[in-house]
Amino acid sequence: MKPDWFLQLDRAIHEKGRLAIMSSLAANASLSFTELRDTLGMTDGNLTTHIRTLQQEGYVAVAKSYQNRRPLTTCSLTPAGRQAFAGYIDLLEQIVRSSRGK
Amino acid sequence: MKPNVAEENLQTIRTLMERSAVYRRALAPVMIYCGVCGLAGGAVGDLGKFDSDRSFALVWTVTALVALGGSGWLMRRQALKDAEPFWSPPVRRIAQAVAPAFLVGGAIAGMLILEENETGPGAMSPVIGLWCVTFGCGVHAAGFFLPRGLRWFGWLFVLAGLALLVTGTGDFFPSNLSPQLLMAAIFGGLHLAYGVYLYFTEQKDSAV
Repeated sequence: MKPDWFLQLDRAIHEKGRLAIMSSLAANASLSFTELRDTLGMTDGNLTTHIRTLQQEGYVAVAKSYQNRRPLTTCSLTPAGRQAFAGYIDLLEQIVRSSRGK
Repeated sequence: MKPNVAEENLQTIRTLMERSAVYRRALAPVMIYCGVCGLAGGAVGDLGKFDSDRSFALVWTVTALVALGGSGWLMRRQALKDAEPFWSPPVRRIAQAVAPAFLVGGAIAGMLILEENETGPGAMSPVIGLWCVTFGCGVHAAGFFLPRGLRWFGWLFVLAGLALLVTGTGDFFPSNLSPQLLMAAIFGGLHLAYGVYLYFTEQKDSAV
């Protein structure tokens, strides 16, 4: 196993909260802020902070609209986010495969 | 990070992706279609005077099968249009969630069809109540893989069913009320109302 594989893991994704957000968004075209919060059991503040980090990396797009006259915030993965997430999973799989091959 | 941590992360990702995959396809058309089926079933049953236990159960079994088959067709059509698989993980989970409750509802219908005794239309309200409760439980269970409003929709059926079970066997329940029209009002009416609500709110959402 190459030790530098761990260094290649994307730090923006490789954090428990952000990994959960990326995983949930990868399974859906988009999710509302409330759905994400309820699914992941995060606080509003925690989720906002993580989403902002992922947004700054260009991995998550946030859209604000109105539904039934109430504000609706929806989050989705950007193409760069999907690519980064797929790359992250590939790397994890390589690490697991190489440890099994020992 | 150790290799077993990498494995744990992969497992976490898999679990989260499965848990958060929400089915959103064709809900408004499916609800409207089921509502129309319910109203049509009630009209056929009432106008055709299908008042015996057996014919009542047969009318509603056929109505349920037509509603189920048509809903599947609508969902498949939209999946093909979006180039997505029809039998996707969320659809599988919804099917698994509704299966026990729907099986009980089907078994009640089966018993009525096979039963020789005829109790008449007045005794149908507990059966309608049981159907409402089992259907509501199934919808509520499936609601964990559907937008949140579906769980409230399930609760409506459970409460309507409980109300029927409580009042249906006593003197509160009007004996001249047609069970066919009651089924049409509950199953057809609620589906149609929710479908129309979904149609307009979904349209508004996508327009923004």
